[in-house]
Amino acid sequence: MLDLDSHLSAIVAGDTAAFGRWMASSEHTVRDSLRSFAARVDTESVVQETFLRVWQVAPRFQRDGRPNGLLRLALRIARNLAISETRRLKTAATVSDELENRVAVELDERGPRPPDPMLRQAIVQCRQRLPDKPGQALTARLESAGGDHDREVARRIGMTRNTFLQNVTRARRFLVKCLEELGVNVNAEIV
Amino acid sequence: MAAGDPMDPPPMDPKDRELLVEAAASAWRPRSPAASPGGLPMHPAWYDLDDEGREQAFEVTRTSRVMEAALDDDGQSTTVRAVLARIAAAQGAP
Repeated sequence: MLDLDSHLSAIVAGDTAAFGRWMASSEHTVRDSLRSFAARVDTESVVQETFLRVWQVAPRFQRDGRPNGLLRLALRIARNLAISETRRLKTAATVSDELENRVAVELDERGPRPPDPMLRQAIVQCRQRLPDKPGQALTARLESAGGDHDREVARRIGMTRNTFLQNVTRARRFLVKCLEELGVNVNAEIV
Repeated sequence: MAAGDPMDPPPMDPKDRELLVEAAASAWRPRSPAASPGGLPMHPAWYDLDDEGREQAFEVTRTSRVMEAALDDDGQSTTVRAVLARIAAAQGAP
């Protein structure tokens, strides 16, 4: 089982590269745990804030002898943030524990999902086949890394915002279809 | 209100929803405290989406992040890179 607490001592020492590796392996689990909140809170914001809080509290984190303690803490932080946001936004009647319990059980039994080497190989191949404009839009989105509003990203590559978004959509759909043709299911569930 | 009540707002145009979904799937989020006083920053596109659109945005984001991480040499999605940039900014890194 993959135990991401192997990164803990480096994270506590302030190693952001180690934290990046930890986040890269944790993100899918944290995001999936928030699916039941999808219509109620901006889950991307919750994921980002969760990671920031984990970075801040990591020096005080105490291991409990079980693997992936920091990830389990992240799941609790994410859930609490989401619940807090639903209350602030008044967007939830009841909050179910079912998905959170399934994610927790999955994490205990199998650990976080390791990167799929087949996916990387296949997607690099598929990206090379992307038509020009969708490829440009995808590259621009990736390079921006969330640092700029799409309006600015679009402007840099000479597209209107709507055209840019349409091309990002085309790129994503093309890649998913290409991956499926290569036998890779990018939407495989972990819970 | 009963189902199909004439007072219900009209359903969102699918093309408009698609654009908003893709926008909300970006890792960009506003940084100004005024953007969401007392709470987490919300993407304006996410705010404008109906429930169906928000569910779609979640799935699109999920798929996109998996692909982004697979395309990145360090296995990092745009979410991870956005968080690292915020940490670096807070530390005063150049």
